[in-house]
Amino acid sequence: MPGRDEFTFYEILEVMPDATSQQIERAYRIARSTYQPGSVATYSLFSDEDNAETLRRVESAYQVLSDTRLRREYDARLRTHGSQPAGRSRAAAAVAPARPPWTLRPPTTFGLEPDESLEPDDGVFEGGVLRRIRVARGIELDEVATFTKINETYLQHIEANRFVDLPPRVYVRGFLREIAKCLKLNPGRVADSYLKLYDKQIPRV
Amino acid sequence: MPLTGTPNSLNSARSRAPRSEPVDPVPVPGGASIWAVGGGKGGIGKSFISANAATIAARSGMRVILIDCDLGGANLHTCLGVRGTPERTNLSDVLEDRVVDLDKIAVETPVPGLRLILGALGHTGTAQTNHEQCEHLLQGVRRLPADVIILDLAAGMDRATLDFFNGADKSLLVTTPEPTAIENAYSFLRAAFYRRLSYAMNGSPVRDVIRDAMSQREGLRTPDDLLAAIERVDPAETERFRSVIRGFRPRLVVNQVRTTDEVKMGFSIRAVCRRFFGVDLDYVGYINYDDFVWRSIKERRPLVTAYPQSDGALYIRQIVKKMLKD
Repeated sequence: MPGRDEFTFYEILEVMPDATSQQIERAYRIARSTYQPGSVATYSLFSDEDNAETLRRVESAYQVLSDTRLRREYDARLRTHGSQPAGRSRAAAAVAPARPPWTLRPPTTFGLEPDESLEPDDGVFEGGVLRRIRVARGIELDEVATFTKINETYLQHIEANRFVDLPPRVYVRGFLREIAKCLKLNPGRVADSYLKLYDKQIPRV
Repeated sequence: MPLTGTPNSLNSARSRAPRSEPVDPVPVPGGASIWAVGGGKGGIGKSFISANAATIAARSGMRVILIDCDLGGANLHTCLGVRGTPERTNLSDVLEDRVVDLDKIAVETPVPGLRLILGALGHTGTAQTNHEQCEHLLQGVRRLPADVIILDLAAGMDRATLDFFNGADKSLLVTTPEPTAIENAYSFLRAAFYRRLSYAMNGSPVRDVIRDAMSQREGLRTPDDLLAAIERVDPAETERFRSVIRGFRPRLVVNQVRTTDEVKMGFSIRAVCRRFFGVDLDYVGYINYDDFVWRSIKERRPLVTAYPQSDGALYIRQIVKKMLKD
């Protein structure tokens, strides 16, 4: 693919310089599945060599941006160079006088923007609904586990409404709030709604 | 990981029918909002999505007109339980000036508030519909008394199909997770983009550059390359080029999804379109593979009325919600 040397690590992952660690992780996972060998999304456009080269750059970008210290150092280097990677094309500069990298391709949130249309019409956030929203956002369970620090088994129990296998109520509330944050939902609403169902099955003592 | 979804027994999908569609009616200021549903390949669910989206909008209280833009093998009527015969007045009669008033050929459907303009059955005379005819037709469409008008586009990428896709207020690009469908979706998108671009840059000194890009000559593979080439010929035209790119924002739907990886494919397609075409697709959702879809088609009823609690109906409602709110 032409012009790849001109991109910053943020551009390679297609995230803003102030992207959160979750957004970087999200972008990385999507890039990895997009350019993996045999990818259905790219086979008709890019050669295997092209994809391998893109993947190599994605891995390099991720290695730096996912590490707090390395990212800070990289940001400092970018600032020193006026936020422009060396060798940026004249054309790109012409397109983007104000905020260079994203004039042709504005930044993306990779499905992490608030999205009311995903929420249930009846307002009930039961496990199946949480699962559906997670899948619609393209987020794997292990990704939720990474960000919420909740054991994946508990996440499975929550999505399957296996209330009896969950820890005490106070922990479940905390879990639900973290899951909601990860899925860009309202933590209070999700926790209250789910716990109503929980309370029907596990009477409070 | 397979998409297990909600329990999908026939009775549970049918019997827990909501009393009304849970989509808030949104008034459309200043006339109808025109949606086009395309995607290049046949059999990917364009008519199915059109019929169900129209049904959802109509059941939320909107006046909806569905137009079957297939001028050869129309079959949208069947998805709605409307009988179509070659003798019935249809869209080709309008294109060939046998009928002037589109409103008069919109027939009622079993869904209250939803009318249908039939496509052509076994007709080949309008295969070469030109840009002016399409423009003229779209002007007529805009005058129709409706809140939402949905154009169900034909397979392939002939000029009329691309013009309808580009002329709509909201364009929906449909694909399935199969390589053939995705390849066709990219081709369709590319063709639509360059057709839009060549009309927008009409009379510009950079039209030859665009023609080269369309044929992928001169190493012009991406919009970045094209931009650089335009800048070399006429720097003043770069702003017009940028505005065309910004104004082209189709919505993507991935249909017949079976696994979470296939759900994520929508994000991958979006990423590729951004990088390779410079086009910012909006991934508005997916519809999972659902046996109730073919059941509803066999019954000639929209899924959202035949099996409102099925997974497929749920996901289409989410997509329509997004389309109405954007």
